[in-house]
Amino acid sequence: MVQKLKAEGFEQFQIVVSEVENKNPNGNIFILFSGSKDTTGQSWCPDCVEAEPVIEKALESAPEDATFIYVGVGDRSSWKDPNCVFRLDSKIKLTCLPTLIKWGTNKRLLDYQCNNLDTVLMMFED
Amino acid sequence: MSTRSLLPQFFCAVERRLTLGIAHRTSCTKTVIRRVSYLKQKSVIALTRRHLISDIQGFIPCQRYTTSTMAPVIPKGDPIQIVDNLIKNNRIAIFSKTTCPFCTKVKELFSSLNLEVAVIELDTRDDGADIQDALLQKTGQKTVPNVFVGGEHLGGCDSTIAAHQNGRLEFLLNKSQAGPKAEMPDDVKYDYDLVVIGGGSGGLAASKEAALLGAKVAVCDFVVPTPIGTTWGLGGTCVNVGCIPKKLMHQAAILGQSISDAKKFGWDVPDSAKHNWHTMVEGIQAHIGSLNWGYRVALREKKVNYLNAFAEFVDPHTLKTTDKKKKETTITSKYILLATGGRPRYPDIPGAREYGITSDDIFSLPYHPGKTLLVGASYIALECAGFLAGIGVDSTVMVRSILLRGFDQQIAELIGSYMAKHGIRFQRGYVPIKLERIEEGSPGRIKVTSQNEVGELLEEEYNTVLFAIGRDACTNNIGIEKANVMLNPRNGKVICDEKEQTNVPHIYAIGDILDGKLELTPVAIQAGRLLAKRLFGGGTMLTDYVNVPTTVFTPLEYGSVGLSEEDAIAKYGANDVEVYHSFLTPLEVAIPKRDDNEGYAKLICVKSLNEKVVGFHILSPNAGEITQGFAIGLKLGATKADFDNLIGIHPTIAEVFTTLNTTKSSGADVLQKGC
Repeated sequence: MVQKLKAEGFEQFQIVVSEVENKNPNGNIFILFSGSKDTTGQSWCPDCVEAEPVIEKALESAPEDATFIYVGVGDRSSWKDPNCVFRLDSKIKLTCLPTLIKWGTNKRLLDYQCNNLDTVLMMFED
Repeated sequence: MSTRSLLPQFFCAVERRLTLGIAHRTSCTKTVIRRVSYLKQKSVIALTRRHLISDIQGFIPCQRYTTSTMAPVIPKGDPIQIVDNLIKNNRIAIFSKTTCPFCTKVKELFSSLNLEVAVIELDTRDDGADIQDALLQKTGQKTVPNVFVGGEHLGGCDSTIAAHQNGRLEFLLNKSQAGPKAEMPDDVKYDYDLVVIGGGSGGLAASKEAALLGAKVAVCDFVVPTPIGTTWGLGGTCVNVGCIPKKLMHQAAILGQSISDAKKFGWDVPDSAKHNWHTMVEGIQAHIGSLNWGYRVALREKKVNYLNAFAEFVDPHTLKTTDKKKKETTITSKYILLATGGRPRYPDIPGAREYGITSDDIFSLPYHPGKTLLVGASYIALECAGFLAGIGVDSTVMVRSILLRGFDQQIAELIGSYMAKHGIRFQRGYVPIKLERIEEGSPGRIKVTSQNEVGELLEEEYNTVLFAIGRDACTNNIGIEKANVMLNPRNGKVICDEKEQTNVPHIYAIGDILDGKLELTPVAIQAGRLLAKRLFGGGTMLTDYVNVPTTVFTPLEYGSVGLSEEDAIAKYGANDVEVYHSFLTPLEVAIPKRDDNEGYAKLICVKSLNEKVVGFHILSPNAGEITQGFAIGLKLGATKADFDNLIGIHPTIAEVFTTLNTTKSSGADVLQKGC
């Protein structure tokens, strides 16, 4: 069963990733960067909302030892800030939301690619 | 059209051939019979063969006609029409002159092959000169013989003989005999509409376009590891072991030059600035990795099935694919596209494969190559030597004879001398005969023994030996014989017509494996896209293989489009070619005071075509960027006057082309002095 974790903001994201890396150094880590959800549980980013069920579905085919981390990058205004840390961090360098990354590889899916079940499955099955 | 109305035309054709004066009576009769059976095959004439032959035999006395008294069987009129008619109505059409020994040679060739030819002897007709002009317009070839086979322009004597030797002539003859292509039966169900073998630039372009047009498509791509075990992802040579990493390493070298220039522009750069091989390779490989992934995503998005498996023919419509785990699968396809590309060649000498590497390995080499020998004079050898030297690697190039065969030789030598001035050692006239490992390691030490023409031996130690002596088409291990696809026996390349169609109607080929075409990524992409549009989108456009611009990324880049000076002279004759040229010094190097007059520009013009520019050559920094734009001028038929009318952008290198006013024939000094 894929382990599913959540992180909100950059600091928490870093902590969660390093914990997972330490615990399971050889397991695959998939990270979905999304616009943060508000009190109603809905993200402000419509593409992220669309992608979520697709990714949930594809996760059923992910390898058993994989970890999936859902990361909220903040509200709309903090994301639109060109100095948003998620945009600047050299390991992440986000350019759009949602972005799905296979951690430690060059494999990433950008915006509409995240709500295409075929491409998401390819990411998990690889 | 009724049988009756066709008959006079038919006999006219027979008569015409009989009047040619080159076919002997015996072979003549043979060819007549062949023509008859050909027509029968096409079911356009309902008469019995016997009946026809007896009628034809009645015509044999016509053989009394000779070329000198040749009746004007082709009516005088529009010379373009005359040319087109001869080409259209005859399998083999030759425009010739009775006095030309090369024309005789070509006619003898066809005669020896017992082939029927239709000839117009230009020197026996009043409108001969007009027809020759029409031929020049149509083919760009002014000289005779001018040979056409199956409607396709073959060229002069040399190209005809070459076509006979490399299988192209046979290919065109078979094709023109086959008549209209039989439609593939619709009731056969295949797994795919199109299977592409090879996921390089051309294969990917074709597969994506075909899928967009609704075809069911699969791409088979499998990288056979190099002898030292290097392998890579989806995308083919360009992305993984060619253009992309090459240009990035070229950039690394240019930055090195810029760092030393920077001091002269006031930057406080420490003298200790050193290059780190690992950082560069990691950066480049990370970029390539993201491209590999991007291609896979693109295929998946367009519903192209990507099979990471080695494909080989079982029969013309069936392929066996073998994946990394040796699992075999059989797939069938209505159309099959060969896009397998090429791989570097190793010389057949002891130690080459064991201790040598190639361009397939250098871009991901996990260790600094150390002192490096590059064997070969190809653009790949020179580019690799250039960037290696540029990042501080001790580089030697071993060259058997000339540099950059096939490219403009004046520029090739200028490239060589520039590289020699910039720290690259050349060993001309030598070929390696043996490699021996002296010490293992990363890199180890290799003793290279080489030999010159007179048998003198040379021994030297290197850390890395890179072979760049040529590339071979990957057509020898895909069971191509089971599909009966014709290859040029000399180079293993696939013989195709202008539609990239092989002799097997449902099998096509594009990219580096195409015989007689250019080995360039954008050419393959264009061919792949247009082919897919023709197969699945009702397209009619053919890939235009003429005037394709290209650039060699040596330290000083060399951009060209059109003909080399040698080829222009061969095609138009030295008297009809005018070359305008100038050396040049980019403004940017004036401050560091280096490379004075190392750049060079020339335009090759044809006098009789209103000084139409048929060759454009530039040796300078950023030559690729300069050449791309000017190429459209050549495609549109720009003349020297058009270049003169163009206003330059100051200060640039490219502006030199707007002010070229010294001809090479004048012998005047073209060294640039001041602004």
